[in-house]
Amino acid sequence: MRRNNVKTMLAKLALAAAVIGGGLQAASAETANIWVRADGSNFMPRIVDAFNKAHKDQIKLDIIPNAEIIPKYGAAAAGGTAPDALSLDLIYTPSFAAAGQLEDITDWAKSLPYFASLSPAHVKTGTYKDHIYGLPFSADASVLIWNKKLFKQAGLDPEKGPTNWAEIEADAEKVNALGGDIKGFYFSGNCGGCNIFTFTPLIWASGGDILSEDGSKATLDSPQLRGAIDLYRSMVKKGLVPEGAQTDTGSNFFAAFAGGKIGISPSGAFAIGALNTQYPDIDYGITFLPGKDGGWSSFAGGDNFVVTKGTKKIGVVKQFLDFAYSLEGQTILAKYGSLPVRNDIAKDALKDLDPRYQVAAEAMAKGKTPYSVVFNDLINSANGPWTQMVNEVFFGDDVDGAIKNAQDTMQSIIDQAPNK
Amino acid sequence: MTAITATAARARLRTATNLRQWVGLLYVLPAVALVTVFFVIPLGMTAWMSLHNWPLMGEHSFVGLDNYVAILRDTRFWNALKFTFYYTMIVTIAIFAVAFPLAIFIEKPRPLTNLYRTAFFMPAVVGFASASLLWSWLLNVDSGLFSPAAYDLGLTEKKVNLLATFQPAFWSIIAMVVWKVAGFTMIILMTGLQSIPQDLQEAAVIDGAGPFARFRAITLPLMRRTLALALILSVAGSILAFDQFYIILRGGPRNQTLTAVYWIFNQSFVSFKLGYGAALSMVLLVILVALSLVQLWLLRKPEGLD
Repeated sequence: MRRNNVKTMLAKLALAAAVIGGGLQAASAETANIWVRADGSNFMPRIVDAFNKAHKDQIKLDIIPNAEIIPKYGAAAAGGTAPDALSLDLIYTPSFAAAGQLEDITDWAKSLPYFASLSPAHVKTGTYKDHIYGLPFSADASVLIWNKKLFKQAGLDPEKGPTNWAEIEADAEKVNALGGDIKGFYFSGNCGGCNIFTFTPLIWASGGDILSEDGSKATLDSPQLRGAIDLYRSMVKKGLVPEGAQTDTGSNFFAAFAGGKIGISPSGAFAIGALNTQYPDIDYGITFLPGKDGGWSSFAGGDNFVVTKGTKKIGVVKQFLDFAYSLEGQTILAKYGSLPVRNDIAKDALKDLDPRYQVAAEAMAKGKTPYSVVFNDLINSANGPWTQMVNEVFFGDDVDGAIKNAQDTMQSIIDQAPNK
Repeated sequence: MTAITATAARARLRTATNLRQWVGLLYVLPAVALVTVFFVIPLGMTAWMSLHNWPLMGEHSFVGLDNYVAILRDTRFWNALKFTFYYTMIVTIAIFAVAFPLAIFIEKPRPLTNLYRTAFFMPAVVGFASASLLWSWLLNVDSGLFSPAAYDLGLTEKKVNLLATFQPAFWSIIAMVVWKVAGFTMIILMTGLQSIPQDLQEAAVIDGAGPFARFRAITLPLMRRTLALALILSVAGSILAFDQFYIILRGGPRNQTLTAVYWIFNQSFVSFKLGYGAALSMVLLVILVALSLVQLWLLRKPEGLD
């Protein structure tokens, strides 16, 4: 009797389980998991929300701290719990693809009617051995920003930003002369990532480079690099740069200018959105990062969208990327701090936004991105050769030794890289 | 009859011994399990990984001793190790120089002793990471305490960036570590001091020994074991130093304060070479074990003393 009871109960349970299971199956909306680094925490939730509202299939978003996303993803991939896709700092795409971690999306990418208008810098870093593993998602270009209020106080034309190195220094000096807490110029002097973003464009705009096109040679010993170093050294020596710059590992990269006491600072397009929403009192101008005698360049940065190898949710992921590339998606991205990545509709997406975005969008379109499978080791690592060099050459005594040391270390890291 | 009884008794005795041994094993089993799961297996895993090219992502492959050969050529690791030894030496001396007088000061009961003990010990209960964050702020040139205070008091002409050059940055870290660790060492040394019988000291006083002679001839020799413990803890802790250099200095200025563990961390989680990081860890482990053995030998019980 009792046993019978148990049996019935089990049967009922099994039935219930089947019903619940079947019910879930019937709804059948798939959910794909996507990760983004904290830099995207402003625009990513907005676009995911918009997508989820308009689609049956859903995206579940996780925001991961910038410094942790790579190790965390590596650990998750090893444990089989990696997200279906992630928005990845574009410079990491080559090394991820080289590790065999990403789904080859060449055919799908080339089938997109607007493939040719996608940000070239992104597509270049998203391509590994002629296969496409990453497509542009968010974009940020480096620019020069200046404080119009301080320019006016210093007797400068507030509507005209510097257009060459001599003007940067002269303007910074004038602003610095206002005295007190006000300083002419700011940069994060102990941050490799910040300086590849904002310092190398000065070199590019003057015709030099720090890496060969394919990333196989370090080319630090150039007159253009020397010239740019001299510009920064001179400003440091004249006291135009706050003391804290020497040890700033990037935490003050944006905050220093936002404080309203800095005349000029190299920065990124993200600053437009951030200043407009968080520091509406600051009146600022945006211009290109100039070369020694004019001309300009920019670092085209941002995220590539990559798909984890072997994911079963690739259909949802494609839907989401399609949505992001629509005019609606591009407009949402632009409004919350990323530049559009589709050049054919960039103008439309930016139409109703702050006109200063147009400068940044142009910088993005013609921007440059270094290519290397060991970018992290060379450039971004807080203890890498590039970070060490920028700190030494801006503030130290032995510029020649620092450049030579960095050149040798970078070349040896490139030469020792697995599957270059 | 007697023979049979004797055999039976012996057998019973053997079973009893056996049983006791099994029960003993049962008692230590939890400890053995803990050690196995959290020490032996990870250690074996590390050793196994160190023989592979083991990237954070992608396939790993067996490379034999290649990682160890690479270590021989890794000048940046040996530089980091050199710095680690230098740091260990300085910081250990500094900790003892502060902790010993403090221990002597708080050993004897006097008014407010408990207050002093608590106050000196307090920083030891702060985690290393939290303490580093705190000091990272204290040492900040623009918004911190030391530089702005010195500037406002007119001690310096402009705000001095303490973390910008090696010497001030290094000594700032030493100060922070001494502040944080000396209290703990002090407690260890105090228990050593308290275990010295009072009558020995009194006898020495009667014999006319001064305070310095008493310290050298009675206190120090009788504290051998306590000193050994405090020394090994301090040296091992310092050789594994990482948090403070990572959080406050990021290995700077200009990579001059990269410690061995910092380098292992960089190789494993910045360059994603887990296999190589594992090999470096094995090398560091061997060095650490060797150092501890040397210290134990130096501070061993002298012949003839119990």
